[in-house]
Amino acid sequence: MLEALMKKKNQDGRFRYLYWIVIFIFAALICRLVYLQLFEGSYYHGLAEGNRLRAIPIAAMRGVMYDRNGQILVGSRPIFMVTYVPTKKGISDAELDSLAKLLNVPKEKLQEKIDKGKNSFEPTILAQDLTQDIVTRVEERRNDLPGVSVDVQPIRYYPYNSMAAQVFGYVGQIDEEDMKRLQGQEGVSSITQIGRAGLEAYYDDLLRGKDGGRQVEVDASGTPVKEMERKNPVPGHNFHLTIDLNLQKATEDALDRQIANGIGTHGIAAVAIDPNTGAVLAMASRPSYNPNWFTRGITEKEWAQINNNPAHPMENRVIAGEYPPGSTFKLITGTAALELKKVTPDEMIFDSGRHWLVDMRNAGGEALGWLNFTEALAKSDNVYFYELGRRVGIDKLAEYARMFGMGKKTGIALRGEATGLVASEEYKKKNFNQDWYLGDTFNSAIGQGFQLVTPLQAAMIVSEVANGGIQYKPFLVSRIDNLDGTPYKIFAPEQVGTLPVSKSTLDLVREGMRNVAEESGTAGSLFAGFPIQVAGKTGTAENFGGADHAWFVAYAPFDHPRIVIAVLTEQGGFGALASGPVAKSMLEEFFQVGAYADGKSPAHDAKDKKN
Amino acid sequence: MFKREWKNLDKVMLFSTILIVCCSLCIIGSATHINKGVINYDFVAKQGGAFVLNLLIVLFFSRFDYTRLKHFAKPLYVLNLLFLLAVMFVGTSALGAQRWIQVGPITIQPSEFSKLIMIICTAALLSDKVDKLNSFKSLLPVGLFVGIPFLLVLKQPDLGTSLVFLAITLGMLFVANIKLSLLRNIFAAGVVLAPIGWHFMKDYQKSRILVFLDPNADPFGAGYHIIQSKIAIGSGELFGKGLFQGTQSQLNFLPENHTDFIFSVIGEELGFMGCIVILFLYFLLIYRGLVTAKECKDPFGMLLATGIVSMWAFQVLVNVGMTCGIMPVTGIPLPFMSYGVSALTTNMLAMGLLMSIYMRQQTMIF
Repeated sequence: MLEALMKKKNQDGRFRYLYWIVIFIFAALICRLVYLQLFEGSYYHGLAEGNRLRAIPIAAMRGVMYDRNGQILVGSRPIFMVTYVPTKKGISDAELDSLAKLLNVPKEKLQEKIDKGKNSFEPTILAQDLTQDIVTRVEERRNDLPGVSVDVQPIRYYPYNSMAAQVFGYVGQIDEEDMKRLQGQEGVSSITQIGRAGLEAYYDDLLRGKDGGRQVEVDASGTPVKEMERKNPVPGHNFHLTIDLNLQKATEDALDRQIANGIGTHGIAAVAIDPNTGAVLAMASRPSYNPNWFTRGITEKEWAQINNNPAHPMENRVIAGEYPPGSTFKLITGTAALELKKVTPDEMIFDSGRHWLVDMRNAGGEALGWLNFTEALAKSDNVYFYELGRRVGIDKLAEYARMFGMGKKTGIALRGEATGLVASEEYKKKNFNQDWYLGDTFNSAIGQGFQLVTPLQAAMIVSEVANGGIQYKPFLVSRIDNLDGTPYKIFAPEQVGTLPVSKSTLDLVREGMRNVAEESGTAGSLFAGFPIQVAGKTGTAENFGGADHAWFVAYAPFDHPRIVIAVLTEQGGFGALASGPVAKSMLEEFFQVGAYADGKSPAHDAKDKKN
Repeated sequence: MFKREWKNLDKVMLFSTILIVCCSLCIIGSATHINKGVINYDFVAKQGGAFVLNLLIVLFFSRFDYTRLKHFAKPLYVLNLLFLLAVMFVGTSALGAQRWIQVGPITIQPSEFSKLIMIICTAALLSDKVDKLNSFKSLLPVGLFVGIPFLLVLKQPDLGTSLVFLAITLGMLFVANIKLSLLRNIFAAGVVLAPIGWHFMKDYQKSRILVFLDPNADPFGAGYHIIQSKIAIGSGELFGKGLFQGTQSQLNFLPENHTDFIFSVIGEELGFMGCIVILFLYFLLIYRGLVTAKECKDPFGMLLATGIVSMWAFQVLVNVGMTCGIMPVTGIPLPFMSYGVSALTTNMLAMGLLMSIYMRQQTMIF
């Protein structure tokens, strides 16, 4: 017991230490609280109230889009903007007046913006993309304008303006709906730009980047006095597109020339793809618009110009425009007939100018006499293909059209793609409650009637013929980069199917297409002397209530296809005349044979045969 | 019979605990009320229910003889290891760490219970070694004994709890009369080994340390908590903004404000006065624990009580220190205050043990 007490004595000493340690711990904590809450209390109180602490977002740079050769297609540029953060005493009428004068913006408009951002701790953008001049003047008056500050931020920039506008899309200031949708996502602020159309919209999450921010302490007038915290913005992913800038430019120029030619068209769509991968090389649509207008806040006049245009400049006709395929559909009718052995390549069918069962004729009232398969395709004889359509039957015709990809989306990474339409007995019954007649089959066989395709679908159909029946999913983005330039995602060609069609059949169809661009063909004079062997097909699609739509589809070179082109000119009349020159310009650029190698000037006076 | 027991009960400890928990329920109510206009009773009800249940259990079991626990030390130790291993394999992760086990609707955080189990086991181990810890060799078994669960918890990763293990062990070694020169050597070794430990830390743990040294290094990331917490506490000033009135917590500037950062809400809404009252209650709790330990004639009981006191004192220091920016962020909850049923249960059971030790002491004397 005594021993135990001795030991206890020893431990008592240790416990005395522990008491002191505990007292020291509490004393330290209390000292800290005295400092934080009593000495610095009013300072932190001010910070907490938010009237001395401002969160100022720093916009992230959206990812850059490059063409296939690394040229910048879409980028960003810095702009000056004037922002306003409410201060305690607010902005007076006189101050607003002078600000309106400085910025050259109506006072009501400023007031409206200020009222809208009243409850936000984040700054409201009053005006952006200001000239150095205005910026200097605002800076000079900064002390008289509480809460107003000048900021530099990156903004989306489309160096080629309206070029491929429907493909790239455009961006706009974030709105309440976006805020709701993106709630909880890191790096979204009041100045985030959101992709609204095209690739900008489709890949917005990757292109957007993450906005950063600064937390600054401000004085009573709202002037920043000290930067407390900073989070740097993270730029968006860079995109490498399959687009070829030079080809795209040539395509745009060709479209503009066609419109300037005064053939009376407003809408043209042109697309070029690589038949070996499905990569889109160029995609253009007219009329177009300038996406830069949206980035800096579109003016009413500009908006009216876009919105009041009956031809809808924002529509990407390549993917959203649905047109009767016209004679380009004969590629499908021909393939079906050959593959189903309804006709032999050498069988001669007599064209007397009209079909012997139903009185349906050729377009120009001509009669071409005895024709075999390739001749009929090259000359685009209607009577011959009425007969093939009759032999194949509408059910098989519809089956082949679907096989080629008509009636469903190609799956390209853009919003608003149309499906097109495959003519069939069920369709007519369901939508018109009418029986199917042989005349309907005739119309379907030459791509009229109910048949509808988008220009992109037309290009994919030709691509399948050209590459031997491989169906690719068309794509625009080949690679997405990480910040450090390493690949984030690489897009390989995506095969979605194979046509169950024999080589001999496709060989014959290709031969017919080659003949189209040769002397006897419908586009013969257009390509006379062209140094690359082109295979094509013209088409003239009847358009109720207007002039015919003009098609031209092609691939080249004939024996080793590297490019497929589809051009549609709304109300352009004959295919070879209206759409052919566009395709030809594109091919000249692609093969670098402008003005031909031998110096012979390209003749555009194609006396059109039939379609 | 109950009358005598009531007389022997450590009423100061009991009431300071009850007061702390009552305060905790109010603050949790406030902290989870964020912007909603109505109180979200889920958290308060869960925590309150757990408290009442625990209180009954504790009052009932405090009559039992704690010395019997010593015989269960070995199985408890094994059970503890099994639990910690279970977390590794079937645990659920949150916030980058795997700390929970899902049992039906309940999520258990074994590392919380682990603290108490370690106190019991280490006390049992050391109770035979009092006054004999004078060589490095004599310390080796203790090191191994504590080291295994320590590493398991560290691996989860739960740096906070593993540090609590260290604090508990040190406190107990200290009162077990470890030779002071030996203790000094341990500290020296710790300082030397720290850089190696740094090497094994997770990135987020490193950033917490770095941010503690300079909160503005990453103000929107790891430093965010510290800055916002300091603003919250500081802005409370002398009397606070009033319950439910704190802008920092109500406007959600301060995440996790019902768990690890609950003291920031106290500082903001109840002010300096509120903080002092709460700290005083903790002081009472810890002081009574120390008295219990000191008065205990039985080495096992003394070590047990010391371990519990060390645990609380360390957690209060690190947690409160963290919220006001003098300690790094380690994810150590404030005992009896932070939301979390596992933690509350552990602390209640610990308090029950203390009361049992105290009560037995009183019965022995009289």
